[in-house]
Amino acid sequence: MSLLEIKNVDISYGKNLTVKNCSLNLEKGEICSIVGESGSGKTTVIRAVMGLLPGAGRVSAGDITYDGIDLLKLTHKEWRKLRGHDVSMIFQDSGAMMNQTRLIGDSYVEYIMTHEDISRKDAWAKGVEMIERMRLPDGDRVMRSYPFQLSGGQRQRVGIAMGMTYQPKLLLADEPTSALDVTTQAQIVRQFMELRDEYGTSIIIVTHNLGVAAYMGDKIVVMKRGEVVDQGERGYILHQSTNPYTKLLLDAVPTLGGKRYV
Amino acid sequence: MFDEKDLLIDARHVTRRFPTNDGRLLTACDDINLKFYKGKTLGLVGESGCGKSTFMRFLVWLDYPTEGEIFFHGKDITKMKGAELHENRQHIQMVFQDPSTSFNPKMKIKEIVCEPLLNFNRIKPSEMDAKARELLELVELPGDFADRFPHNMSGGQRQRVAIARAIALEPEFIVMDEATSALDVSVQKTVIELITRLQREKNIAIGFICHDLGLIESFAHQVAVMYLGNIVEVMPGEGLSDVCCHPYSRALLNSVFDTKMDFTKKIENIKGEPPSPLDLPPGCPFSNRCPHCTERCEHEKPKLVELTPGHEVACHRFSK
Repeated sequence: MSLLEIKNVDISYGKNLTVKNCSLNLEKGEICSIVGESGSGKTTVIRAVMGLLPGAGRVSAGDITYDGIDLLKLTHKEWRKLRGHDVSMIFQDSGAMMNQTRLIGDSYVEYIMTHEDISRKDAWAKGVEMIERMRLPDGDRVMRSYPFQLSGGQRQRVGIAMGMTYQPKLLLADEPTSALDVTTQAQIVRQFMELRDEYGTSIIIVTHNLGVAAYMGDKIVVMKRGEVVDQGERGYILHQSTNPYTKLLLDAVPTLGGKRYV
Repeated sequence: MFDEKDLLIDARHVTRRFPTNDGRLLTACDDINLKFYKGKTLGLVGESGCGKSTFMRFLVWLDYPTEGEIFFHGKDITKMKGAELHENRQHIQMVFQDPSTSFNPKMKIKEIVCEPLLNFNRIKPSEMDAKARELLELVELPGDFADRFPHNMSGGQRQRVAIARAIALEPEFIVMDEATSALDVSVQKTVIELITRLQREKNIAIGFICHDLGLIESFAHQVAVMYLGNIVEVMPGEGLSDVCCHPYSRALLNSVFDTKMDFTKKIENIKGEPPSPLDLPPGCPFSNRCPHCTERCEHEKPKLVELTPGHEVACHRFSK
């Protein structure tokens, strides 16, 4: 049985059907990249998996099953147990998801204490340990900083540390490297690959950078205007796919030593 | 490699320091020497905060250097004032990164693209409709867009309008500050094709700020790599990945993900983050992250030396 199964899902915001008939399977330890242009509905899909559709968004048809659990039938209480524990999400700018007027450590401790019966002191130590495991030196200083005092790359590492605290089986990442510089992006991508190798985490990464998607994904899903137009193993998508849209996207990626316009 | 008689802009020893609140000085650009040639593109590459935008802003009079001169047709533009400055502004134009914030949302597209022309009395207000149509068609947009507002258009279309506005005065030089990084890849490709076509037709020089070496390699004639306010390498754009040799440029190059790379390759990356520009290492700015750092690098700042014509690098490994 797959870890995550999305079957013929429709998602609507109010009366607008945004994502049509989306299906996707994810095995344990597998990384799936969802690519597409802005507005193609790729973020909407992973938000639906997390039960975090904003506003009037809802899944209007289909099934989402995680580890045998029907995610669409979960109560509020059951969601709170699952979210941040078995399934975690990393956002484009992890600094923006945190309260700007509170120390990172305070937010982190609150998060740990929600999921675990643990003293404040132990929760702080756990936070420091996770941050240092994500290769941020001096975790204690990071915990005592405000989000705006850290660089974009450091904030993203804190976000990953938070998401990985309970070693979730499924990690959803929404454009985790888009706001970062190229060298930092390479560091973060490497860190994601290590998570999979060390903990066997399954990852869905949403990105518009096809290079990153191809490097990370065992499987690639191409979306356009709310529909999955093409999906398959990486080798298939990159070399064998005959889908015109996939070809158009791949052709547009600048490659080193590739085509010159002048 | 370039003909010296085509020299358009010559920046010499340009330095910019910003005073901070606690009385220290932040050096955003440190002794920059760059040359721009007619009809050629210079790509300026580096990470956020390295001073690439600060430098390009001098060329369009949005800021002034603390020291140094920038010659445009033999005249120092940093000293221009009044009528002379106004006259010269029409020769140098700019395209900004985010097209949705660089337009007045209450102006129609025709007013946006014709505003520079009206400013310099090149057209009468009655000619605006026809001229707007002509400019829009030049950037491959339907002429009917003239009566739209910026919010009725997609990001790629807006960026085309920004280009139309920049070329309206037929400038000799255009600064493009990450002009494609807010766009999707397929749109980015068409915008690059448009820019290179216009450059060929009108012989415009372009200064293109970018952080994607893969992209810049595809259309720049020369590429300068900047790190913490210093130019560390200047090289020809063609075959850049073979010749580039500064450890920082190599690190940038290794950070490029593309769809034709070897996916089994382990990502090698440079350690840590760039230091604060207020707290620079005394020697080479890259010394604390460089895998080849020696004692000399920690004390002595390397100067740009020419390896082959058109290829200069600032690194002790390559100086004699």
